[in-house]
Amino acid sequence: MGTRSAKLLRMLSVSVLCVLMLFSAAWASEDVLRVAVIDEAPSLDQQVITSDLTTMIAIHVFEGLYTFDSKYNPVPMLVKEEEVKDDGKLIVIRLREGVTFHNGKELTADDVYASLSRWSQFGSRGSVLFNNIEKMEQTGKYEITLHFKQAFAPWKNLLAFMNGGPAIYPKEIAEKADKTPIPETGYIGTGPYKFVERSPSRYIRLVRFDEYAARDEASDGYAGKKEANFKEIQFIPVPDDATRVNGIKAGDYDYSERIPGDLYDSLKDDPDLVVTLQKGGSQGFVFFNSKEGILKENFKLRKAILTAVDMDAVLKAAIGPEALWRKNGSIMPEGTPWFSTAGADAYSLGDAEKAKALAKEAGYNGEKITYMATTSYKVHYDSSLVITEQLKKAGFNIDFQIYDWATLVSKRADATQWDMFFTYHGFVPDPVLFTFMSEVYPGWWATPEKKELAAKFASTLDEKERKAIWDQIQELVYTQVPIMKTGDNFIYDVYAPKLEGVKDTALIWPRFWGVHFKK
Amino acid sequence: MFSYLVRRIASMIPSLLLTSIIVFSFIHLIPGDPARVMLGDQATPEQVEYLRESMGLNRPLYIQYFKWLGGILRGDFGSSIFFHQPVLSVIADRAETSVFIALISIVLIILIGIPIGILSAIRYNSFLDQFFSGVSMFFASIPTFWLGLNLMLLFSVILKIFPSSGFPSILKSGNWENLRYLILPCITLAIPNSALIIRLTRSSMLDVSNADYVKTARAKGLSEMRVNIRHIFRNALVAVTSALGFTFIGLVSKTVVTETVFSLPGIGRLIVESILRRDYPTIQGIILIVAFIYMVINLIVDLSYALLDPRIRYS
Repeated sequence: MGTRSAKLLRMLSVSVLCVLMLFSAAWASEDVLRVAVIDEAPSLDQQVITSDLTTMIAIHVFEGLYTFDSKYNPVPMLVKEEEVKDDGKLIVIRLREGVTFHNGKELTADDVYASLSRWSQFGSRGSVLFNNIEKMEQTGKYEITLHFKQAFAPWKNLLAFMNGGPAIYPKEIAEKADKTPIPETGYIGTGPYKFVERSPSRYIRLVRFDEYAARDEASDGYAGKKEANFKEIQFIPVPDDATRVNGIKAGDYDYSERIPGDLYDSLKDDPDLVVTLQKGGSQGFVFFNSKEGILKENFKLRKAILTAVDMDAVLKAAIGPEALWRKNGSIMPEGTPWFSTAGADAYSLGDAEKAKALAKEAGYNGEKITYMATTSYKVHYDSSLVITEQLKKAGFNIDFQIYDWATLVSKRADATQWDMFFTYHGFVPDPVLFTFMSEVYPGWWATPEKKELAAKFASTLDEKERKAIWDQIQELVYTQVPIMKTGDNFIYDVYAPKLEGVKDTALIWPRFWGVHFKK
Repeated sequence: MFSYLVRRIASMIPSLLLTSIIVFSFIHLIPGDPARVMLGDQATPEQVEYLRESMGLNRPLYIQYFKWLGGILRGDFGSSIFFHQPVLSVIADRAETSVFIALISIVLIILIGIPIGILSAIRYNSFLDQFFSGVSMFFASIPTFWLGLNLMLLFSVILKIFPSSGFPSILKSGNWENLRYLILPCITLAIPNSALIIRLTRSSMLDVSNADYVKTARAKGLSEMRVNIRHIFRNALVAVTSALGFTFIGLVSKTVVTETVFSLPGIGRLIVESILRRDYPTIQGIILIVAFIYMVINLIVDLSYALLDPRIRYS
């Protein structure tokens, strides 16, 4: 190459570089936390929406009367103290004074009464609590009294669980609200951040609430003092997994949630980011139809299906690295007070011959069993693929039907359309919150034995006795098989090394109070 | 020309009406209930029914259709079930990204595709022609997500020159520097599309290069450059313009993979996400608007033929 050409090439390279540098002017601000989330939150109205994404964002804006500490205990948040009287049938709740909403109005019992009333009528989990309440009344400016029909042990857990839970709104907003999610103008809570704007598919912006009335106790789980160290938090929908990871490395995001299992091994030692494992496991469940079809009340046939499946193979194929899953027959994960081995010797046998024998005893003659799963979530599909293959090997005539999530959700509501379907269940701090415990959730498990135990479980106040009853319920789950658990799955997130204060969290929603950039 | 224009515009009305009926019927034939999707796993059948009723989904389909059509005639496309915002505002917000992407990409495609296509045709069968043919076939076969992720890895993660993803609104902020967010996505889209334009320009020019009028032009003693550009390329442009028109429409509405990889709030992603969420009003609104854009671009392309080729006349 001649000297002139080389000179020209150099000049050209320098010019291109200058233009690129001009474009690459710094676009990150140190006061703004940018969180890449997997999808768009349908709404921030936690009372009616049970999406995990909604909860993750909304816990920064709204608060409930109670919340959970890192040991899964329900502890006061907006509440100052409570008094339990009349053997648990009467509960007086006194609120903290001086707590203000984002609109400047002070929180009083009026707001709590209106919020709980709306939740009781339209909230996703409201009826679980309020079916047991005879009357709710305001007994003072900062006092609410709940009159229960009979003692109801999980009341505090239900008031503390914010996913589909009782977020507290100002009275004027809660009174007007119904089942339709509250619009953005009504996103007024008492949390450390306030809602500013939502730009569809771009971001949801929250800014620090300077008048936030923090509790005095040290931060613990979702409880205690909440310090809002960022001026602003942006939750940005980034659906592509690789982009959420690359965005951290490129400096475009500070925190990315829900990274797929197959990237775990390559990321855990990557110096450009930090991996954080969420310790609250979620569970894969295959639901059995207790209302219609071949599996209705045929517990032996269900047991045959359970016997045929080896969960190691299912979990390995669907999730990948062993750090992200645990083969565990206890319905509740290890580390929770509800961990139990009752009945779990029937879990994950993977014995096709025994399954065939049991199926024969159950009178099974190769009739079609309809199994539904979705391709919208890879882990659902991959788990189901392995399960159905194992079932076919054990002689079951499985009609494997694959749908997108919206179709599956509609189809499973019709008991005549299916025999089994696969879904995942998020971590819950009290077994009463499991969907299979509900008689209205598809599956419709409502045998007399279950009803009796569930009633005892709800009305017993002593924690040791409750645990003993839960053991019996789990034993019944392995006898009547309303569900088949695959195992515990631990999701993980990644964040930039410049972030400090991120803690592995007991529940599955990361929280950003107490988090800050390194100085 | 004027009467042709009026006839074409008038013919759009029945086409759009037919599109609206087909879209509305097909969307409602897909199983899946937006109320169930929105309320999640814990909702009771009563709560789902209540929401269906309040969203008007329990009414007979034909009533829902005429209500929707009546709204459109008044400029009201309804409200997005998912975003709780007017459909037009949701689409307008996404249209900004899609229009910028389409415009920048099409300029890149023209700047890359046409000159290389001309050069390949002029140097037919030379090393240069074969080199460009090989390279363009290679880029035409590359999956968009692979190209996008690799560009992101190089320019965002390693060199840190461009942002990896997202696109803050220019119209809202007035900040034209935000265009830097679109550089990698536009290169990702321009490369495979340019390859097709290179091939088309080359083959169209070769088709006409032996025509009698080209021989006449050469016999008249015109320079080779003048023959290639004025006589060969101009006639080849009719096919190339038509392809560019369809490419442009595709860049507005069919770039879902690139939008997903670069996390861009565009029309393509909105269509796919709205279908998965069963957001009926949004799906219907987008498809109707995209169909309208198709018709307008088609009309513009047809009119441009008359400018490019004097033999084509509309009356």
